[in-house]
Amino acid sequence: MTKKKKSILSDQRFIVLLVVIALTAIFSFMSKEFRQYNTMLSLLDFSYYDLLMAIGVTFPLITGGVDLSIGTGMVCYALIGGTLIRSHGIPVIVAMLVCVLLGVLIGTLNGVLIGVMNLPPFLATLCTCMITRGAGSLCTATPWPGLTQEGGWFHSIFKLTIGTGRSADRYPIGFLWMVILVLLMEFVLNHTKFGRYTIAIGSNKEAAALSGINVKFYHVMVYVVCGLFTGLAAIAYAAVTPTVQPGTGAGLEMDAIGGVFVGGVAATGGYGSVLGTFVGIFVIMLLKTGLPYIGLQANWQQIITGLVLIVAVLIDIIKEKKAAAL
Amino acid sequence: MEKLKQNPIVKKLGLNRILLVGILILMFAVFKVVLGSKFPVGDSIKSTLNYVYFLGFLSLGVTFVIATGGIDFSIGPVMFCCALVSGYCMTSYGVPCAVAMVLCVLIGLCFGTFNGWLVSYMSVPPFIVSMASMNIAKGLASVFTKTQSVSWPLSSDPVNGWFRNIVSVNGFPVGILIFLTVAVICGIVLYRTKPGRYILCLGSNSEAVRLSGVNTRKWRMLAYMICGSLVGIAALFFVATYTTVQPGYGDQYNNEAIAGCVMGGTSMVGGLASIGGTVIGVFIISLLQQGIMAFGLGKGQQMIITGIIVIVAVYADVSARRRKN
Amino acid sequence: MGEVILTMKDIDKSFPGVHALDHVNFEVKRGEVHALMGENGAGKSTLMKVLTGIYQKDSGSIVYKGKETEFHNTREAQDAGVVIVHQELNMVGDLTVAQNIFIGREPKKGFRIDDKKMIEESKKLFQELNIEIDPREKMHNLTVGKQQMCEIAKAISHKAEVIIFDEPSAALTEKEIADLFVIIRDLREKGLGIVYISHRMDEIKVITDRVTVMRDGGYVGTLITKDSTKEDIINMMVGRVIYEDPKQHSMVAPDAPVVLKVEHLNAGKMVQDVSFELRKGEILGFSGLMGAGRTETARALFGADPKQSGKISVMGKDGQLREVTINSPQDAVKYGIGYLSEDRRRYGCVVQKSCIENTTLATMEQFTKGFLIDSAKEKEVTEKYIKELATKTPTADQLVVNLSGGNQQKVVIAKWLTRDSDILIFDEPTRGIDVGAKNEIYKLMNKLAAEGKSIIMISSEMTEVLRMSDRIIIMCEGKVTGNIDISEATQENIMDKATRSID
Repeated sequence: MTKKKKSILSDQRFIVLLVVIALTAIFSFMSKEFRQYNTMLSLLDFSYYDLLMAIGVTFPLITGGVDLSIGTGMVCYALIGGTLIRSHGIPVIVAMLVCVLLGVLIGTLNGVLIGVMNLPPFLATLCTCMITRGAGSLCTATPWPGLTQEGGWFHSIFKLTIGTGRSADRYPIGFLWMVILVLLMEFVLNHTKFGRYTIAIGSNKEAAALSGINVKFYHVMVYVVCGLFTGLAAIAYAAVTPTVQPGTGAGLEMDAIGGVFVGGVAATGGYGSVLGTFVGIFVIMLLKTGLPYIGLQANWQQIITGLVLIVAVLIDIIKEKKAAAL
Repeated sequence: MEKLKQNPIVKKLGLNRILLVGILILMFAVFKVVLGSKFPVGDSIKSTLNYVYFLGFLSLGVTFVIATGGIDFSIGPVMFCCALVSGYCMTSYGVPCAVAMVLCVLIGLCFGTFNGWLVSYMSVPPFIVSMASMNIAKGLASVFTKTQSVSWPLSSDPVNGWFRNIVSVNGFPVGILIFLTVAVICGIVLYRTKPGRYILCLGSNSEAVRLSGVNTRKWRMLAYMICGSLVGIAALFFVATYTTVQPGYGDQYNNEAIAGCVMGGTSMVGGLASIGGTVIGVFIISLLQQGIMAFGLGKGQQMIITGIIVIVAVYADVSARRRKN
Repeated sequence: MGEVILTMKDIDKSFPGVHALDHVNFEVKRGEVHALMGENGAGKSTLMKVLTGIYQKDSGSIVYKGKETEFHNTREAQDAGVVIVHQELNMVGDLTVAQNIFIGREPKKGFRIDDKKMIEESKKLFQELNIEIDPREKMHNLTVGKQQMCEIAKAISHKAEVIIFDEPSAALTEKEIADLFVIIRDLREKGLGIVYISHRMDEIKVITDRVTVMRDGGYVGTLITKDSTKEDIINMMVGRVIYEDPKQHSMVAPDAPVVLKVEHLNAGKMVQDVSFELRKGEILGFSGLMGAGRTETARALFGADPKQSGKISVMGKDGQLREVTINSPQDAVKYGIGYLSEDRRRYGCVVQKSCIENTTLATMEQFTKGFLIDSAKEKEVTEKYIKELATKTPTADQLVVNLSGGNQQKVVIAKWLTRDSDILIFDEPTRGIDVGAKNEIYKLMNKLAAEGKSIIMISSEMTEVLRMSDRIIIMCEGKVTGNIDISEATQENIMDKATRSID
């Protein structure tokens, strides 16, 4: 049975982009503080790790699965990285590499649990979420080097600071890397075997297997890629979090996953877009950081993220139901 | 092995359950032997029971949901939300304790209804509903209590101290009685009533049940509503034991509740549920937590171990189903 | 026609309880279109599955291009040039046409998949086949017919030398069929051997060179198309001696009231303007070939699937025939209709549960005393039906999955009897059941009819239809094509109405 969903994909991403612009406009209009450059800068700073997680988790979601361990995983890798730097004197670049490697490792574990051992994705990743959270709690709270300390150069990946002190000019070049990564992964999704087969697995796994595709392999790779981006997210997280706290992280995956759904991924898989994830994340980020500026308590953000997720999924489900009835 | 399976006593109690009780006793013995004085019998039983109370209700609740072939991992945060919101009403708005207790359960019921409606009538995949509910519960709790923690009455409290009696009266563990009673009621509902029959059958083959003229949507939603109510009750026991709740927590209990459930023989695929097994599973998990702490392992290691246990338990279930087919 | 490219000789294949292929012979020449015909269950699909490696034969030989061959999976067959275009489409809906055609063997340009090349190749392919499909279109946006064309194009792109078409025209429009024939003729010119499985007599006459007929798993014979008539073929398809006497005339009194009246039922392509009546104590046979729309009609009537329009009237307990609204199985059951699905294991019983639980599933209100289920009563009723229906099970608590097919069917029947449904729809009631159990089910059905219950029996087994029905409705491609009293029914005229004819 094939899904007769009308592909109004471009429309949804475009609509979400409009929403992003609209939200930015509304918040800017309603709050003077929001309009400040520094606010925008801060918003971008904090968007990088969410975005990286989201890019990664887009792939499991397209296969109809999920990775709930991205939040705690990210924190765990950042903690381990930080500990290596502080306590063992490892150079920052190596710690960064370790983050990515750990991400790939846990991603592989997830992939094997789900793609080879056939555990339900939410449960398998719920467990690895616990495992990484537990592992993270074993570390002590360790900050990565600050901007002015030795090793602090890595901050410049995300934010270029020219000059010192209050009057320094700061440029969010991290945004540039994000755009490049998004375009790269969108390319991977649409033009490489890996991306193509990810969609095939999510759309019709049996047909893919019958067509001779090594479904097990690609299914595992989907989670490995997700893990890789979680590793990258750990670096971005370390860059904006003065001291990474052990035991945190649960809940961060919500924003990332929510962003992907807003961006238009199909509720049961088979369709998704990294560009969609990109704009979707900004909706989430804007709501998260912008609402306090217009007087809404920061904690409302969680409620709203939850509701946004449901609405995004419902919209997709209703669209599909309508299309199937045709 | 086959001969053992045919034994009438074994058949009545269920081989799985006997094995589980065996594991429980073995674990206790091992802990005692290995840890010696660090594992005092009286205290460890008491702290295990404390854990069992709230985890038990969570597990019972999620058993109903898993029986329908669904999942709910918002139970931890929802439990906290119930305790926080109703507790806050009591401490800040002067709502009487008894009313707050009822409110607590009602909030759980609301979440259960919300989840059930989305899964059953709107066909939203259960894991998405869980994720969203989890967040909404956390956010609601934070907003309502203005991010403050809430403390329920202590037993020394002159007005509301009686509230603690749900756990124990003069050292007598009333809580265990209540828990076992509720477990028995759950068992009766699941195996001996019409809703329970429908829930188990639709978890096994919902289309066949629908084609028999049963309103499967209604009964599926009911399972989630039962779960929500039990989560509300779990909240009461949590605060009766640990007094204070803080917004933003609760996630780790999800896994433990599901672990207790799956270990006890409830199948993730749906249709097969064991209340007795869940009860024993909860004891095992609770005892495990105490043991791990006695070993000197911190929360971190606990979580890792629990995570691995759940993976093993679910994998055992998945491959057993595969072999059967 | 050229030389023989494929010879299947003495192919034998059995499944538990079913002798699916009984020393079947089949031969394909280069440059020919060879039809494979037979009723449902004749063994056509099974034979092709054995050829393409989906099943392994028990005995016999397959000689392909002069060499003794056996394919162990479809990939092997595909690589050797033997390709099958299935009835069930194997397409990935979210990918485009071109992406589907080249799935698993995408051409690459460095790191990237060369989508451009795939689109070009697809365009060329479609041009050669004279199909108008945009390779850039997403598969799920195409009609089923167009999707099938893509499946065909995909098969051809594998450099096939033998192509098997399994009921290709079932989902195609007139124009698409004409296009398909052009393609097939072209492939024939090119020297391919083509197997054409279909029941459409007119098409067989138009496009094929030879016809092989199978019946009940056995090989009946091969005819040269242009030298044979439709009657010749039908005779081969059904020409069996029926040992059990077919019913001579209807058992229903001429003044028996109408208990169910269906008027202008429409539910998609498979149920088009279907109207019929069912009378009290009647066994109404629904005959037709696979895909005729009989199950779809039953499901729409039962409320299991949505319908676009239609008026359903049911006779109430008071004897009055009145219009009812049925939007779900709940409604249908309320009005006294019971449905025994085609796929017993998937939709009929909850196999992981016991006989008792299954028997009382539709009548739980009857078995509750206050809050609790009255287990004693449940058991009593279940045991009553076990006895009455002679269901072979050690105890009433036995899980249904452990029973044989026939006995599982009896449990489902018991469910509806417990409900005291007056109208029972049996969909392929004896499929997969051995002869002994079959007879028991027939006896049961007759008894129920004699007791005043009314039965709709959907069946693809000619013997069964002729033996049991008082009246026969024949469907073909979603429409009712015949409504015959048993006294006038013959295998031939039923088959005639069940196969499409161009007027």
